[in-house]
Amino acid sequence: MKIDRRLLANFDWILLFLVLSIAAVGLLNLYSAGHNLPHAGDPLYIKQSYWLIIGLMMMIIMFSIDYRFLVTYAYGIYGFSILLLLLVFFLGKMTHGSQRWLVLFGFSFQPSELVKLTMILALAKYFNDKQIDEGYYLRNLLILSFIIIVPFVLIVNQPDLGTSLFLVALFSSIVVFVGIKKRILIIFSAAGLVLAPLCWFFIKDYQKERILSFLNPERDPLGSGYHIIQSIIAIGSGGLFGKGLLKGTQSRLRFLPEQQTDFVFSVFAEEWGFAGVFVLLCLFFALLLWGLRISRNSRDMAGTLISFGIIMFIFWGFFVNIGMVLGIFPVVGIPLPFLSYGGSSMIVLMMGVGLLMNISMRRFVFQP
Amino acid sequence: MKRHRSRLADYEPAKFRRKFNIVVWLVSCAFLILTGKLWYLQVIKGDQLRQRSENNRIRVQEVKPLRGLVMDRNGVILVDNQPSFDVSIIPEDAKDVSAITDRLRVLYDRRGVASFKDVPPVKGRKPFVPVKLDRHIGRDKLAVVETNSLNLPGIVVDVVPVRKYNFGAMLAHVLGYVGEISSAELKKGPYRSYRSDDIVGKYGIEKNLDLYLKGVSGGEQAEVNVAGRKLRILGGVEPVPGYNVMLTVDSAIQKICWDAFTEKAGTAIVMDPRDGSVLAMMSKPSFDPALFNRGISEIDWKCLISDPLCPLQHRAVAGQYPPGSTYKLIVAAAALGEGVVTPRTKINCTGKYTLGDRTYRCWKKGGHGVVDLNRALVESCDVYFYHLGEMLGVDTLASYSRKFGFGVKTGIPLPGEKGGLVPTKRWKKEKLKESWQKGETISLSIGQGFLLVTPLQLIRAYCALANGGTVYRPRLLNRIESVRGEVVREFGPEKESNIPVSPANLEILRKGLWGAVNDLHGTGKACMREEKDVCGKTGTAQVIGMPEEDEDPHEEKVPYKVRDHALFVCFAPCNDPEIVVLVIVEHGGHGGSVAAPIARKIIDGYFAGKKDETVVRHSEEPSGTEDSQHTQQEINDRRGA
Repeated sequence: MKIDRRLLANFDWILLFLVLSIAAVGLLNLYSAGHNLPHAGDPLYIKQSYWLIIGLMMMIIMFSIDYRFLVTYAYGIYGFSILLLLLVFFLGKMTHGSQRWLVLFGFSFQPSELVKLTMILALAKYFNDKQIDEGYYLRNLLILSFIIIVPFVLIVNQPDLGTSLFLVALFSSIVVFVGIKKRILIIFSAAGLVLAPLCWFFIKDYQKERILSFLNPERDPLGSGYHIIQSIIAIGSGGLFGKGLLKGTQSRLRFLPEQQTDFVFSVFAEEWGFAGVFVLLCLFFALLLWGLRISRNSRDMAGTLISFGIIMFIFWGFFVNIGMVLGIFPVVGIPLPFLSYGGSSMIVLMMGVGLLMNISMRRFVFQP
Repeated sequence: MKRHRSRLADYEPAKFRRKFNIVVWLVSCAFLILTGKLWYLQVIKGDQLRQRSENNRIRVQEVKPLRGLVMDRNGVILVDNQPSFDVSIIPEDAKDVSAITDRLRVLYDRRGVASFKDVPPVKGRKPFVPVKLDRHIGRDKLAVVETNSLNLPGIVVDVVPVRKYNFGAMLAHVLGYVGEISSAELKKGPYRSYRSDDIVGKYGIEKNLDLYLKGVSGGEQAEVNVAGRKLRILGGVEPVPGYNVMLTVDSAIQKICWDAFTEKAGTAIVMDPRDGSVLAMMSKPSFDPALFNRGISEIDWKCLISDPLCPLQHRAVAGQYPPGSTYKLIVAAAALGEGVVTPRTKINCTGKYTLGDRTYRCWKKGGHGVVDLNRALVESCDVYFYHLGEMLGVDTLASYSRKFGFGVKTGIPLPGEKGGLVPTKRWKKEKLKESWQKGETISLSIGQGFLLVTPLQLIRAYCALANGGTVYRPRLLNRIESVRGEVVREFGPEKESNIPVSPANLEILRKGLWGAVNDLHGTGKACMREEKDVCGKTGTAQVIGMPEEDEDPHEEKVPYKVRDHALFVCFAPCNDPEIVVLVIVEHGGHGGSVAAPIARKIIDGYFAGKKDETVVRHSEEPSGTEDSQHTQQEINDRRGA
């Protein structure tokens, strides 16, 4: 596919700058977080930079293809990702008591990450095809529900409550953004509120523990509440200016759990203090606002929804993960975008960024 | 595709404008919430949480000091320290305590070593304080724990110094033993500054000098990781070891006593009459003080407590005996002092003495015939002393007894000392609400009846005779030194009083005691040496009332419990006494036949040791002829003296 020179003229340098800044902070932080961890092969930050490079290549591919072309085949792409989830169900690799990984050509891959992106595409296509100004009716929503329920059930079954709830949050944000009748919204919310306690009987014991210890971290300070207490100690002990790179005692002495993935932000906060954290939060905030600007300026419904979805993708990861390590939310395994270690997450995120650029570049380009 | 295009054509982004504003507002809210919470945690509560992160990584551990050593007068170490190993668990590091302890049990089983009891739940335990699982483990268990330490998170091996009693049971009563402080002791005044896991002296020198021996605890700050493993020592305060205590005891003489004393129960003391220092002090039966080191086992404790011979009793200071005939020295001193007799006063001993309707027998059937004071002491004639006692009266005897140091504690720095009992008329009236009977004075005059003395009091009285009249407080401590050898306290001889006996009378008494050992008819013949340099007095103390009838209690027929105590006190050399030896054999029979031979062995041993010492000193001298001659001269001088 040939890229128009005008497209390059409209290339979104600000978006690239913001993403690369955050990713650079992420690599530096992983250098520290992984410093004292036992690892096989290369250190974590080296591995993560490989993923980042692959992600950047994927990003280039994603902005080269016109997003409208992708929208056309959105259902197919979505179906493909569901197929991968089914493969996980039958052939997936078991680690730590859950089946989340698919091994392809020696590489482990997490299809549940990819589904986040393909679901956004599928929803964008659906709403793009059926624009109803007065809001959407129950009938449409039932069809839409089908799009979310299939991956939700498959991912809950892995089991990965965090990612499946994340999908629901992403789905709901887009659906609410597009607009449904208030009456239906109320019915759905009420049904959700009634069903939520019922879920209690279906979730695993360790998940109950997490919710209980979120409600009262001191309940079992050495058990499930331990993680969140250690995280808060790490963050708070950073103070205004932090302890300095590689000087975070909570992480170096491994009081922090999962410090390279879910609790990576605590490492950063301990070593860089409020000053460093504030800069990072501002970078994220700028990225989110810039993304929303892209969405607002998009020249079609699909572009608006795809970019909005990707921004929500980043936003929920950012808000829930940091909220979790600060003790605002219960411990759910949601990685922090661009900072948590993980190949699948990084590549899918960069693909999302590619799509954002795609939409941003093509805002002035009209169909011939 | 066509339809798709048409949709795009009439796309109106403006309709999302209001929604975008709401989303921007929501994202800003989220940003503010996170920023606010971070400000609260990092800036407002930052110091507090930093402290918690420090607490996380830094463990402050008390480092116990080494207890001071106890040495004898020549610097021979009597009590030393040696390492003992404990296995503990830190529950916070182990996470799952029962899983880890089970794992350790399996490892123990595999090696065939005995396992430990369940982990006791410790209330009010501070976090990260180890809980003891197994104390005083052997090398086999140590090896198991050390080689598997990686699989046993939270399991730590502590090295605890314990006391090593080099002379075991031989000096057990003097040195005492140690143990973990009890909660009752913690509440008492002198132990206020102690901590709940401190080791304190429970008996003997260990108890009485605990403040000097215990030292000052130090502290250590160590950085640990989440598994509780020490990564590095950040700093700390070194503990100060306890002071070393030098006793007046001579371990060589102590050993001589211990070896000489083959009877099953009793005591022997050796003192230097010149300054009142205790050279040896033993009590039998004894016990192994190391049993108490890490908490005595129930079985061992029951054994010690239920033994009818009371091995824990320190007979030398806490045993109270009727002095028997050894008391005749005081009676004679009183009689000479009060002028009721002269050395020439003679009394006819018919073997009996009648007072009212009661008859008091002499130990010798048929009597001694006409005896003077000297013979009365030599042959220990009871009748002679009945007369003296009657002439003197109980209160005069009591007053002399007190001046010889009876009836009050000597003040030796050992726990549990008893004061004995010196009866007077007033005492009987007040305590027993009865008036004094004359017959009781008769019993008293041969050291029977109400009179009770401790062996230490008795030997002290003989020391006063040996040294020319000075009553010393028994000295057990020479000095207390710091580890670097600085003298913290020095203990010199302490004169308490002088006995009211003139030098001439002292000479008369000494002569009597010389005869008691060296005369053909002397009761203490068994202690006679070739040099004829021992003065002594035997005693046979009746445990039950004196038999009035003519039935002679043969020791073998009488049950052990009511057999007589055998006593013997002596000093040597008679002209310039260096040592006073006391031997009491409980229920041993006659002092002359049972106690005196033991005393002789001790005196022989003492002089043999002295000779060896001189020879050793001589051989150690450099081989210069002039020096050698000089030393030879010195030895000759000493021998002459």
